[in-house]
Amino acid sequence: MGSRSIVSGLVGAAALALIAAAAAHAQSAPPAGTVVDGSLKGKTLTFVSYGGIYQDGQVAALKEFVDKSGVKLLNDGPTEIAKLQAQVESGNVTWDVVDTDDFPPFVHCGKLFQKLDLTKLDVSHIPAGQVGECSVPAMNYGTVLMYKNSTYKDNPPKDWKDFFDTEKFPGTRAIDGSGSPIGGLIEQGILADGGSVDNMTPADIDKGIAKIKAIGPDTIFWKTGAESQQLAESGEADMIIMWTGRAMTAVKNGAAYTPVWKDWLVVMDQLTIPVGAKDTDASYALINAYLGKKSQEVLTEQTSYSPINTEAQPKVDASVAAFLTNTPEHAKQGYQQNIKFWVANFATASDKWTALMAGN
Amino acid sequence: MSQTSHTLAAGGDNPRPTGGVQGPQRRLRLAAYPSLLAMPALLLLIAAMGYPLLTVTLRSFSDPAWGMQNYVWFFSTPVNVTVLWRTFSIAAWVTIVCVIAAYPYAYLMTAVGPRMRLVLILCVLVPFWVSGVVRTLAWVILLQDSGIINSVVRLFGLDTVKLIRTQTGVVIGMAQVLLPFMILPLYSVMRGIDLRLVQAARSLGARPSLAFLQIYLPLSLPGVFAGAIIVFILSLGFYITPALLGGPRSTMLSTLVQSQVLSLLNWGRGGAMGVVLLVATFVLLALAAPLMRQRHKQASRS
Repeated sequence: MGSRSIVSGLVGAAALALIAAAAAHAQSAPPAGTVVDGSLKGKTLTFVSYGGIYQDGQVAALKEFVDKSGVKLLNDGPTEIAKLQAQVESGNVTWDVVDTDDFPPFVHCGKLFQKLDLTKLDVSHIPAGQVGECSVPAMNYGTVLMYKNSTYKDNPPKDWKDFFDTEKFPGTRAIDGSGSPIGGLIEQGILADGGSVDNMTPADIDKGIAKIKAIGPDTIFWKTGAESQQLAESGEADMIIMWTGRAMTAVKNGAAYTPVWKDWLVVMDQLTIPVGAKDTDASYALINAYLGKKSQEVLTEQTSYSPINTEAQPKVDASVAAFLTNTPEHAKQGYQQNIKFWVANFATASDKWTALMAGN
Repeated sequence: MSQTSHTLAAGGDNPRPTGGVQGPQRRLRLAAYPSLLAMPALLLLIAAMGYPLLTVTLRSFSDPAWGMQNYVWFFSTPVNVTVLWRTFSIAAWVTIVCVIAAYPYAYLMTAVGPRMRLVLILCVLVPFWVSGVVRTLAWVILLQDSGIINSVVRLFGLDTVKLIRTQTGVVIGMAQVLLPFMILPLYSVMRGIDLRLVQAARSLGARPSLAFLQIYLPLSLPGVFAGAIIVFILSLGFYITPALLGGPRSTMLSTLVQSQVLSLLNWGRGGAMGVVLLVATFVLLALAAPLMRQRHKQASRS
């Protein structure tokens, strides 16, 4: 046990003495993954995520937590921040732990999402730099460029510059148009345009978006992960920007595409506790169990998304390993978007991105 | 009292008192009936439509602060105006395609025997039982570049036709989903047309085409208008079909509303977009109404 958890253990002990009624679950920051037997008996938690194999995998990762703590786990989804806002505004929050995509916990920190009390979570094994003020990562994945083997044969695109170069690499491009602006791609557009992303200003957003627009009228903006997979499996586009999970499934299903790992875009899902959640201690207990080594191994084995516990060693076959983002070779090539910038300019970027999506 | 009941009964849409009914008591109850009959639907509309609509409208003026800022934003952002215009233009195309496809079909339904008619009705209704998303995905498979239609086209040595992610693709998909809403009102009107009128025209020397244009077509116009209005209005709110079959240049207003409300949490802006669409629709219908009424009168006169 590290000195930090001993200290927080002491803090917890003090709290325990003060609030006798909360004794059952007041032990602070036990190592990630630990669950106290029967500690949440009779309680109900609602876990909200994006459904599909992802949420199934998360539920499997939480099975031990549910079995041991005695909590009744309800599932809801898909996550919609608008629904959460409605709950918070009406003062009737029914969601306890919410899985969101990259930006919302930063954009709405303190308003829709609680600032996290890190004495109640063991974040020591989370990859560096991924713990936010209002969120811990739920998993890591990547947005990766996939190219069609038959189109490019011996001369495939090697990086984002080639993606934007329609002269040397003709062919249709498919881009993630599922929602929020893809900050990483706009940054790559700025770089391909010869600009710099060191001290980005809102005016740079226009440059990046103009570069994307310059690809031409044949650009496909896919709306759902399933659609991107369908595009790959039917060979509709020559280069497709895909989430690693979808890319893996498409290749498994016979899509003859190859990933480009140079500067793949690092993305993650986030775990949050809404403002006004009914039983925050129970929410913390769920997240702390989720962060555990074993839970993360189960998650990766079931979903192919990368674990966010650095000690996790999931057993996966080669086809899955090929798309894991946390292997040493892939990890060092990742490109981290400037989250701070995109959060600060979220509204501006979203307006410009929406206009791009609508063909303007 | 009897005065009221008389006017109501003469109104045309209200059930006429049947021959056997006598006395002021009975008349009073009949007079009250029509409004009572509308109560369940009215209550449902107020609860499920009126109240949310009021909230949306209020929010469009009050979120994040009281004032017109959301409307100013709407009309000063080029993409909104372009997409609003595009939404109406796509809806108009869908309506035209539906009229052209539905008219002969509905006519055929009135002309064939009962067994064939059942088959034709089933063909209209079966797509209703399949979810809209599934039907739209089926269109993806048909329309995409590597899809069935283009495979056939290539078989004949022709160039690939761009169908998916174009406005054409969106209109095809939407027209298929909305066709029943055109066929059914048309059929119900056509079924009521007395074909002896057409025969009379022919016996008086009119060519078949003239008999159709002067007798049958005007009589069937109320059905065309009813169907067209339903299809047009439903088209305006389409979301999934344009998202899956369209490209950036066929994005409709509902997609922009969705991104304002769900991704950006600008509920005031989303509300303003909805109100603009609603008002624009009302204005358009108000402009079209006199024209339709005119035709309707003509039709009923003949």
